[in-house]
Amino acid sequence: MAAISPATATTAASLSLPQFTSSPSSPSYLNFKTATFGNRCVKCGVRSLENQSGHRSLDFLSNGDPISLINPNSSSSPISMAAAASESGSKCSKRVCLFHSDETRDLAERIVAQSDCIELRSINWKKFDDGFPNLFIQNAQGIRGQHVAFLASFSSPAVIFEQLSVIYALPKLFVSSFTLVLPFFPTGTSERMEDEGDVATAFTLARILSNIPASRGGPTSLVTFDIHALQERFYFGDTILPCFESGIPLLKNRLQALPDSDNISIAFPDDGAWKRFHKQLQHYPTIVCNKVRMGDKRIVRIKEGDAEGRHVVIVDDLVQSGGTLIECQKVLAAHGAAKISAYVTHGIFPKSSWKRFKLDTKGDPAEGFSYFWITDSCGLTVKEVMNKPPFEVLSLAGSIASALQV
Amino acid sequence: MEKNQICKDAIVSELQKKKVHLFYCLECEELARNIAAESDHITLQSINWRSFADGFPNLFINNAHEIRGQHVAFLASFSSPAVIFEQISVIYLLPRLFVASFTLVLPFFPTGSFERMEEEGDVATAFTMARIVSNIPISRGGPTSVVIYDIHALQERFYFADQVLPLFETGIPLLTKRLQQLPDTENIIVAFPDDGAWKRFHKLLDHYPTVVCTKVREGDKRIVRLKEGNPSGCHVVIVDDLVQSGGTLIECQKVLAAHGAAKVSAYVTHGVFPNSSWERFTHKNNGLEEAFAYFWITDSCPQTVKAIGNKAPFEVLSLAGSIADALQI
Repeated sequence: MAAISPATATTAASLSLPQFTSSPSSPSYLNFKTATFGNRCVKCGVRSLENQSGHRSLDFLSNGDPISLINPNSSSSPISMAAAASESGSKCSKRVCLFHSDETRDLAERIVAQSDCIELRSINWKKFDDGFPNLFIQNAQGIRGQHVAFLASFSSPAVIFEQLSVIYALPKLFVSSFTLVLPFFPTGTSERMEDEGDVATAFTLARILSNIPASRGGPTSLVTFDIHALQERFYFGDTILPCFESGIPLLKNRLQALPDSDNISIAFPDDGAWKRFHKQLQHYPTIVCNKVRMGDKRIVRIKEGDAEGRHVVIVDDLVQSGGTLIECQKVLAAHGAAKISAYVTHGIFPKSSWKRFKLDTKGDPAEGFSYFWITDSCGLTVKEVMNKPPFEVLSLAGSIASALQV
Repeated sequence: MEKNQICKDAIVSELQKKKVHLFYCLECEELARNIAAESDHITLQSINWRSFADGFPNLFINNAHEIRGQHVAFLASFSSPAVIFEQISVIYLLPRLFVASFTLVLPFFPTGSFERMEEEGDVATAFTMARIVSNIPISRGGPTSVVIYDIHALQERFYFADQVLPLFETGIPLLTKRLQQLPDTENIIVAFPDDGAWKRFHKLLDHYPTVVCTKVREGDKRIVRLKEGNPSGCHVVIVDDLVQSGGTLIECQKVLAAHGAAKVSAYVTHGVFPNSSWERFTHKNNGLEEAFAYFWITDSCPQTVKAIGNKAPFEVLSLAGSIADALQI
């Protein structure tokens, strides 16, 4: 079951079966339990679904085929899913002390649940009367010589300074390495100067992060998921090692588990999304939309691909007001899509804009979505949409736990 | 002949003055206008400060082409963590617009009182702030100059990296000028609430007799006592760099009054006053004797200045002239 390379189902026999966990408190979660064998990470996915009668059923991944195991970042991750893990016994390659911000506590706990190698640590987050932070890192001496990580969330400018203070302090506490996990990199859409005078705040944030001091482990590693623009990877200086991960493998896994998995087409709302994601989704038929200018208006059109009779899943890195997705939904429905779903890695949804997305209960894709998948990169949104169809949250916990072993 | 020479010197020194284009954050608009009013050489520029729906800033620097080859400055105010990111975005960009030089004027450097690690695990946010400021890119004019008034701890000047040139100014000259105007100017003595304040300021005020207070531990409590000096019969002016809740000043005032001070006033450069704590000091006009005769603050903390307006005993001493001069350095 735990074999890794496509051709070697037979090697499964040599590995012990990892434990599967269901998550009693969060039926909408996909949890990935990591079993670590020597230096290799092997991951199996478990889905616990609430069906109509409210029972929870534990499904194993489609056909137990080793190919459907999640490789979080097949293109660039050095996490090796190479042939048979020959080492037996579970040993941590790196024990990691994981600190986190207030907002990311839930995700931090999930990450720690994924792996025996990761331990939760805490920080006192208080404020002075003037609003500036009054912070204390507990047991700072206990992290000397340890690998340390911080799970951050810059959900608004107001929370950046307090987290940055911790991020700048941790590497200097004689830790053996420091990793910043920032699942969602905000300001990502403000990364261009079209006019002299535009302020590309993505670059400001990249500068601020590039200025994290080195630790004994060298430059800080920065783990982030589905950064908005591919060029942004070059906004970081050499003082920091960005590790660009993706949430798409979580989506692929989820799609394979659907009853109509052979009728799925992927739609990209624009060329930008196609550039970012098509290579990871090559085995699905694709539809590409684009915005065409008609007079003053910009109208979404289908540029290529055929939606007729298909369960179309619109894929993008993030959603803000949701306007683009809704426009795509209308066009796809008009072109005969049987069902429409959406996936975004980052559900930003300012001002509760997620409320615009209704469940399709009548088989009318123009009126509702069958599924709307987001990851738990934006913790505040997750709290709001939990257990509210069509929303399902795919957790990054497993992917982050592996990334911490890099 | 002499007159011609004086005229020539004046013309030369005028020519040597720098024309400066001054950008500013929204909170600081009034101070920025006052600075520009001090000098023909300072022109106000503007920025569009907007937000996206997700709360992140959507900013545009107007007339970015016109500042090429010009000396540029930005007047900042980090009154809360929430406003730092938008101002930093502008501060990190301006030096790279082919300006001749860039100066950041940050009258009040917040977090200044949290600059030590007493225990491993303390996070000295003053150092975070210094890092952020030290990371300002250089411009054609070299390292960015950073103008700060009465930084809380003298050691903090060394928290800045060499990529920036900090210029440490003080509001004390504004105080001494004001004190000279008072009718009882001959009867003024200066009091420092603790040794820290004495270290920071005594050299600038050595022409006045001084009183130094100190906090003494008595059981669980810390009590303000007089350490040196005699306030009896004098108009005592308590001097410190900043005020937060005001507790320290009130304790000092009580001790000074108990030792016979005729009047007590206060000066702080930075009226931080979180949660409107300045209300503890306003004259209530209820017939009771007022604790403070004058309370001087500068306009380094614009939110406070707006809130206080003209309410006695407060008087605002403006940094505008001092900043206008600093911009010529």
